[in-house]
Amino acid sequence: MTLNMVVNRKPVSVEIEPYARLLDVLRTQLKLTGAKEGCGIGECGACTVILDGETVDSCITLAASCEGKSIETIEGISDGDQLHPVQQAFVEHNAMQCGFCIPGLVLSGKNILDKYPEADRERIVEAISGNLCRCTGYKQVVDAIEDAKDKIDE
Amino acid sequence: MPLMGKKNFRYLNKRITRLDAVDKVTGRAVYAADVEFPGMIYGGCLRSPYAHANIVRMDTSKAKAIPGVRAVLTADDVAKPTSWADYPYLCSGTVRYVGETVAIVAADTLDLVQDALRAIEVDYEELEGVYTIEEAIKDDAIQIRAHGVGLKDGVPNKDVKGNIFYDSYFPIRKGDVGKGFAEADIIVEREYKTNFVEHSYIETESCVVMQDPVDGVVTAHASAQNPFFTRRYLADASGAPFNKCRVVQRMLGGSFGGKEELVGMIVGRSAMLCLATGKPVKMVMTREESFMESPKRHPFHFHYKAGLKKDGTIVAWEGSQIDNSGAYNNQTQFMNCRAAIHSAGAYDIPHVKTDTYGVYTNNIHGGAFRGYSSPQIIFAQEQFMNEIAKELGMDDVELRRKNILVQGDLTATGQELVEETITLEMIDHMVEATDYYKKKEAYAKTKNNKEKRKGIALVSCYRGCGYGAETPDAGAAMCTANEDGSILINSGLAENGQGLKTAYAQIAAEGIGCTPDRINFVGVDTHSIPDSGMTVASRGTVMGAQSMRKASLELGAMLKDTAGKMLGVDPEYVDIKDNEYFISCKEVNQERIVRGAASLEIIPVDENGHFLNEQGKQCSIHDTVSMADVCNTRLWTGKSLAAFNWSEPRDLGLDHHTGQGDAFPTYSYGVVVAEVEVDMETGFVDVLKVTSGHDVGTCVNPDTVEGQIYGGIAMGQGLGVTEEVPVHKGQLGSKNFDSYIFPTAMDVPEMEAIIFECEDKEGTYGAKSLGEPATEAVGAAIAAAIADAKGEPVREIPCNLERALLGRTLK
Amino acid sequence: MIRFDYRRPTSIEACLELLDLYQDKAKLIAGGTDLMVELRADDEKLEHVNMVIDTTHMAALKFIEVEEDVLHLGPGITHEEIWENPFLQEYAPFLCEACHSVGSPQIRHAGTIGGSIGTASPASDPLPPLVALGATVVLASVNGTREVLLEELLLKPYITDIKANEMILSIDFPLLNPEAGFGFVKLGRRKALAISRMNVATYVELDETGKAVDVRIVPGSCMPTAVRISEAEAMLLGQVPSYELHQAIGEKVAEEMIKVTGRRWSTPYKEPVIASLVKRALNQATGVKDDD
Ligand code: FES
Ligand code: FES
Repeated sequence: MTLNMVVNRKPVSVEIEPYARLLDVLRTQLKLTGAKEGCGIGECGACTVILDGETVDSCITLAASCEGKSIETIEGISDGDQLHPVQQAFVEHNAMQCGFCIPGLVLSGKNILDKYPEADRERIVEAISGNLCRCTGYKQVVDAIEDAKDKIDE
Repeated sequence: MPLMGKKNFRYLNKRITRLDAVDKVTGRAVYAADVEFPGMIYGGCLRSPYAHANIVRMDTSKAKAIPGVRAVLTADDVAKPTSWADYPYLCSGTVRYVGETVAIVAADTLDLVQDALRAIEVDYEELEGVYTIEEAIKDDAIQIRAHGVGLKDGVPNKDVKGNIFYDSYFPIRKGDVGKGFAEADIIVEREYKTNFVEHSYIETESCVVMQDPVDGVVTAHASAQNPFFTRRYLADASGAPFNKCRVVQRMLGGSFGGKEELVGMIVGRSAMLCLATGKPVKMVMTREESFMESPKRHPFHFHYKAGLKKDGTIVAWEGSQIDNSGAYNNQTQFMNCRAAIHSAGAYDIPHVKTDTYGVYTNNIHGGAFRGYSSPQIIFAQEQFMNEIAKELGMDDVELRRKNILVQGDLTATGQELVEETITLEMIDHMVEATDYYKKKEAYAKTKNNKEKRKGIALVSCYRGCGYGAETPDAGAAMCTANEDGSILINSGLAENGQGLKTAYAQIAAEGIGCTPDRINFVGVDTHSIPDSGMTVASRGTVMGAQSMRKASLELGAMLKDTAGKMLGVDPEYVDIKDNEYFISCKEVNQERIVRGAASLEIIPVDENGHFLNEQGKQCSIHDTVSMADVCNTRLWTGKSLAAFNWSEPRDLGLDHHTGQGDAFPTYSYGVVVAEVEVDMETGFVDVLKVTSGHDVGTCVNPDTVEGQIYGGIAMGQGLGVTEEVPVHKGQLGSKNFDSYIFPTAMDVPEMEAIIFECEDKEGTYGAKSLGEPATEAVGAAIAAAIADAKGEPVREIPCNLERALLGRTLK
Repeated sequence: MIRFDYRRPTSIEACLELLDLYQDKAKLIAGGTDLMVELRADDEKLEHVNMVIDTTHMAALKFIEVEEDVLHLGPGITHEEIWENPFLQEYAPFLCEACHSVGSPQIRHAGTIGGSIGTASPASDPLPPLVALGATVVLASVNGTREVLLEELLLKPYITDIKANEMILSIDFPLLNPEAGFGFVKLGRRKALAISRMNVATYVELDETGKAVDVRIVPGSCMPTAVRISEAEAMLLGQVPSYELHQAIGEKVAEEMIKVTGRRWSTPYKEPVIASLVKRALNQATGVKDDD
C-alpha cells in the first residue's frame, strides 16, 4: 500500500507493507537511520520521533496509521550545519557517551521546549523519562536541555 | 586536598568537546545496524527453548524450500561449529542453555528470515540440568562439561570430576591465617549473594559481513567492543587467514564489556552465511536475543570470615568467592584473577586466604561487565565491613580509616603500594563534603518512622589499573601529520562511548602541541593497526594511551625539528601555540636569543628582533611558521610525517599458585557516599543522593570523567536496587526493558562527582583507570545505605521491592 | 511479528461493517501502544488475527463532553489528553493522575483510553479510577449499541466482554462531587516506564459532619480485574476517616484479595503492601496525613 506523509517538512510517498512499523519505513525505506531500535516494545525511546507535534516511539507506531501526518526526525531539526539549540547544548555539555540514545533524547528535549518554552527541570526530566540511556546517568543531558531553554529564548 | 586542577597541562584537564559530538546529536553517526550494502541479505538464528537437551532430529528442508531463503545451516554444514573461545556458533548435539543457537538462516528479507526460522523442525529430548552455584558444587551433581572438576578438601582439584571451571580457580595465600585468627579477639563470618545482571547497552549486537569477490577479504562491520577479538571469530568461522579478515568497528552503542562474545558469534555466523550465499549478510539481534545470548554479570556467592582486634584492626581474612559461569565460558579464567587479587578489599591485612572459582551451569554465560567482578565483590566486602563494625560497636568509617591501604602497605597479593596513595585524605574529604556525620544523625531520627526511613553510608574501594597480571598490557598507536597540518591518530584500542577518541586526541595534542581540533581519530580497522588487545579493564587511558603519548611526543619532536630549521633556531627554543611555531625566548633577555643548550651560544638580535642564522639568513624572533608549512616542508623534503609506537608494560610477576606478587602497575581509589529513603511499607528504595569521589591520577577531560561518574552512579543504582535477570531452571524471567528495570531520568539521584588527582608515574601523564571505578562501589554504597535505613544488613542484591520489604528473596 | 492486512475506515459505520466482516480475525488499533507489542511478540491470543482496522484518525472517537452531569469520554482520547484536560483535572483528578503515570511521554502521547479498556491489563493504571467513577462503556456493532458497566465488562486479565464485532463508542460516567476526595497511589519498580506492581484508586465523599457517605476503593494488580471492594468500602461508610481506620480497611482489602486469588508465592509481599497502598490512597482522598 502507499503511505503519504510529511517527513521533515517534505511530502513523501512510499510503498509499504500494511504491517510495517514506522521505524522500519524511516530507517530502511527513507534511509533516515537517526532513529534507532533498542527494544522494539516502546520502552527505550531510542526510536523516538515527533508525530504531529508529539513524541512517539516509532517502533510501536504502525506506519500505515501515519497517513497524512507530519513527522520530524533527528535529521530534520538542524538547518544544514546550523544545529538546533538543543543539539548545540548537547554538544557544549558533552552530554553523550555512546550516543545511541541521543537522537531520541534530543527530540524529547526539543519537543518539551517547543510545548513549554519555560519548562522547569522537573518537567524536562519527566519529558525524557521515556528515553533510556545506559551511559550518561542523564545529568549532563538535563543540564544541556535546561541550557538550551535559555538559548531558544534569545 | 588533592582535588583536580593543580596540574599544569596544555590540553589535559580541559573540557574539550567530544570528537564525535556533532555526529551523535545529528543522527549522522553510523552504527553497525545502519550499514547497508547493495545486494545485502539478512541473517537470523534459531534458538533452543530448553536449558539442557539433546537434539534428536532436525529438519531444515521446508525452510530451504522457501523462495528467497538462500541458506539454512546447522552444525553439520559448517567446518567449525564451535568457536575458538568455547562458545558454539551452532550447537552440535546437546544444547546447554536456553537460547543456544541450533540453526542459522539467510534470506532476502527479514520476513523471509522469520518464515525460514519457523519452518525448521527440531525435536529435543530434555535432560536434567544444573542451574545454581549450590547445585553445581554438590558432590553428586550431574556433570555438564567434560572438563569440569570437583572439590577436594574444599578447593578445586583436577583429580575429581565436577562442574568447576578449573582454569578460573585463583587462590590467595598471604601470611598464615591460622595464626591470624588465633591472634584475633573477635571473629565475624557472613555470606552474600548477587544475581545475573544485563549490560543493557541500548544498541543490540549488530553486524554486516561481506566478502570482496576480487581479493577474497572478508570484512565485518560490527558493533565490536574489541575489533581484534572479533577478528579471531571472523577468521575462525570463515577459515580465512587473519590478513584477509578485516573488522571495522562502527560507532558503538554502548558495551560495558558486553560486546565481545555475542558480537563474535554473530560475526562468525554471518561470515558462514556470507560465504554460503556470496552476499553481504546483516545480522541484528532483537533485544530478546541479546538477553538470551549476551553474557551477564556473573552472580557470585561470597563467604567471608575476618579476625579482628578489639580496636578494629583486621588481622586475618578468609573467604571463598564462587561465580556462576554458565554453560560455556572464556572469561571467568581472566576475571577471577582480578576477583582474587581484590578478595580482601581495600584493606591492609597481614594474613589472607581466599579461593575464587567459577562453576558451569545450564545458564547463559557470565562475561565481562564494567568492573569485571568488582561491583559484586565490593558489595559483599563493604556490607561485611559494616557488619563487622556493628559487632565491634565501632563507627564503620573509623573501621575503614583504621584498615585502609595507604602508601607503603602490602596488598592481599603482597604488593607494596609505592605510588602516592591518598585514601585517608579521600575519606576525610568525602566525610566533610557530604556532611556525613550530621546527616547520619539526622537520618537516625527517621528510624522509628513507620513509612519512610532514611539512611546514609560511605564505602571505599581500590582497583588495579589496566590488565595487570591478567595479561600483558601492551598496545600500538600511530600519529600521522598531513601536509595541511592536520593530524590523524590511530590506536588499537577502541571508542566504546566512553570518550576514548577525545581523550586520545587530547593526549596526542599534549604531545604534539597542536590544538585538539586539528586531530582526527580513525575508528579501529584491524587492517590499519596491530592487535593491541582489548579495550577493557579501564585500560584505555591509563595504559593503552602510553603508546599514543609516546607516538605523539615523537611526532611533536619531528615537527619541532623542522620548525626550528625553518625559524633558524634550535628546536628546543621552538614552541607552539594555536598551531603556529614561534621562537621561545621569553625567559631570556629580549635583546638576545639562545641557541644550543650545551654551548649557550648567544646570538645578537637587533632592535627589530632580527638575527642571522647559521646559513647567514636573516631571521626574526617574531617569525612564526604554521604547522601546515612545517608538514608541507617535511613532505617535500622527504621526511617522515608519522610516528608509530608500541608500548610494553613493565613485568609484574604474580605467582598464580599463591596469588603473591605484584598484580598491577598501580591502583586507583574510590570513596562513595550514598543516601537513600526506604519505604518500609512497600520496599521502594528512593536513592536520594550519591556523592562519588575518585582518584583518577590525572583527569584528562573533566566532562567525560564526570560523565563516566554520573553514568556509573546510575548503573550502580540499578545493580543495587532493581537490576536482575531472574533465572528459573535456565529460563530467563526478563528478556526486554519492560521487566528488566534500570533507572530512568526520573529515578536517578542527585549526583555529585568529586575528582581527586595525585602523582603517579605509572599511567599516561599520571592518569589512572576510571570507567569501571565509576560504578564499582555505587551498588555497595546504596546497599549499605539501605541497611542503615532499615537497621538490617543487606546480604543480596538487587535490593528490590520484595527484598527490601521482606529481607529475603520472594520465591 | 504477526503480519496482517490493514483497513482505514472513514466512518464508524464503515468500521463496524469491517469488524462484522472479519470478526475475530480483526483487531482495532488506536494508538497501538499495546497492540503493536502483542503483534510483535506473536501473542497467542492474536493467533487468528490477520486484519488490523485503524481508528487512529477518527475524529468521531475523540471527544470530552459533558451532558447533564454525565461525562462522555471518547475512546480515542490519549492518556496525555486526559492528563492535560482542565475539566477532568477538576472532576476526576485520580483518572488524570493514573493516565499521567502510564509508561512514558511517548506512550501517553499515543496510547488511548479505549485501548486501555480493550487491552484490560490487570496492571492497568486508568482502569481502577474508571471503575471507581462507575464508568459505563458504550459498545456498538452493526446490530446496534449496548451499554455495559466497565466493572462488568472486564472479565479476566486481558479478557473483556467486548464482542469481536464490537467497538467502543464512548466511555460515560456520572460526574462526582469535585469537592470530595480522590486518591490514586501507584507502586512501580521505578518512577517512569513502570508497570504497576499494584495501584489503588479511591474516592471518598464526606457529609458536613465529616462522616463518609460515598466510598469507592478499587485496587489494581490485586484482583483478576479492577473491581470495587465493597466489604472494605463499608468499613468507612458512616465513619470519620482516620489513619487507623484506613489501615484496617487496607488489611480488609488484602484479605479480600487473598479470598479471591488464594495464597500464592507473591502473597507474602502483596498482602502487607496492598494494605498500605489502600491506606495511603484513602489518606490522600481524605487529607489524613501519612506517617513520615
Ligand atoms: S526501540 Fe522503540 S522504544 Fe525502544
Ligand atoms: S549515551 Fe549511550 S545510551 Fe545514552
